Amino acid sequence: MLSRLAYTFRETGASLRRNITLTVAAILTSAVSLFLVGGTFLVQRGFDNLLSKWAGGVQMIVYVSPTATPDQVTNIKSALESSPTVVDVGKLEYLNFEQSLAEAKRLLAADPTTFRLLNEANLPTEFKVVPKAGQLNVLVQLANGFAEVPKVQKVVLARDQVEQISKLRDFVQTVTVGLSVLLLVGALILIWTTIRTAMFARRREIEVMKLVGATNWFIRIPFMLEGLIQGLIGALMSCGFLLFFNRLWTNGVVKLKGDNGFIALVVSNSFLNLVMLLVVLFGMAAGAIASGVAASRFLDV
Amino acid sequence: MIRLENVTKIYNSEVTALRDATFDVAKGEFVFLVGPSGSGKSTLLRMMNRQESPEKGAVWVAGRNINEMPDSKVPHLRRNIGNIFQDYKLLLNKTVHENVAFALEVIGRPKHVIRQQVPAVLDLVGLTGKEDRFPHQLSGGEQQRVSIARAFVNRPLILLADEPTGNLDPATGEGIMRLLDRINKTGTTVVMATHDQRIVNMMRKRVIQMDRGIIVRDQARGVYE
Repeated sequence: MLSRLAYTFRETGASLRRNITLTVAAILTSAVSLFLVGGTFLVQRGFDNLLSKWAGGVQMIVYVSPTATPDQVTNIKSALESSPTVVDVGKLEYLNFEQSLAEAKRLLAADPTTFRLLNEANLPTEFKVVPKAGQLNVLVQLANGFAEVPKVQKVVLARDQVEQISKLRDFVQTVTVGLSVLLLVGALILIWTTIRTAMFARRREIEVMKLVGATNWFIRIPFMLEGLIQGLIGALMSCGFLLFFNRLWTNGVVKLKGDNGFIALVVSNSFLNLVMLLVVLFGMAAGAIASGVAASRFLDV
Repeated sequence: MIRLENVTKIYNSEVTALRDATFDVAKGEFVFLVGPSGSGKSTLLRMMNRQESPEKGAVWVAGRNINEMPDSKVPHLRRNIGNIFQDYKLLLNKTVHENVAFALEVIGRPKHVIRQQVPAVLDLVGLTGKEDRFPHQLSGGEQQRVSIARAFVNRPLILLADEPTGNLDPATGEGIMRLLDRINKTGTTVVMATHDQRIVNMMRKRVIQMDRGIIVRDQARGVYE
């Protein structure tokens, strides 16, 4: 068993060295493509985060001053419910302090300093308003009226930001998914070619191995390990890119201080780690499977 | 040990390499397959370790129909069959010892078995003292002895030899034949394809003569003609 392992690693190492140019090309291509795959996830997550407070058809958010008494909150609720033909009362949702804080935590993942400053005295609570079908224009006209109700801090309409952001997200998604699929195919073709070249270089050895009764798996495993290592190195490089660009992005977004909400366009570290783990597993599996298939394809000596 | 029943092999649906070949080879027998190039000798040998499969008929080795054997069992079949070729098929970047040990390594034999069996078989073929040489440092006859050692190190039941003396001068070829004869006397069945008349006439073993894919003669203690 030990001698088999030694054999496998010796063969894999020798083959990687012999094929250095193709190996490097395969690794770089898989690094870039896996970076794009991971990046797609991160960008989507950022946009989803940014848009999450508008999820479920919410078109208007009424921010309530933290100093409002429970009676005053009830007052605002009644004002919103007084137009049942415009506001979908069944879907009207109030986020109390804890719920608003939870939302802020998600949106401020990039800016823990700001988040720590939030407390019951300065964080507004909020009503999320879903209009009845076809009543959006009327709701927009009513918005100014709601701003006049006592203790309403601010009324924000989705129309002002959500539509553009959604369009931007769809565009970015199309581009990144398209590019990453193209590059993944390129990476797989390169790994395939590397293995085929490696097998061609060793065809005499493989012929002898088959004639003395080595099993196909015994012949195939060093090649699969070679593909797996290529995929793994590529994936680790892409993780480096992901870490670097995510930090760059997060720092940039944090500097965009202000009330525009773009601070939410980032991802939490735990999500980044999950994406990197998936990228590594996917890179290793794709490399091993592509080379295993390539090896089987050329085993008929 | 080996039995062919009405074996027919057609390449690319037009070239008939073998037609209706039937014969038995008993355990411990030594058989020459003779005939001109392209008469089907090599195809017959390649049938016996399932490098090829017949269109019709069946090949039996050691009591098993090897054409009905699943692919996963073929490596185990081949561990019982040694192969020798005209061009030796040695690995040029490995020493004599490594070439022979390779055959045991790739079927997962443990180190101590390799350490014990490789020197023994190199002694049998007369290469003791040349273990660390590379193939290009050996004569043709010596290279063929390495290839015989590799084929025999696992003590196979059957040895298939395809023109093993084809690249050697007559005296060296005779030496190789004496070695194959010794291996045969240990009980190993030997099937050898050749068109070397002198050697066939010298050995006086069973001769199966082929012509354009058909067996035209099967004679005990025969000559080439």
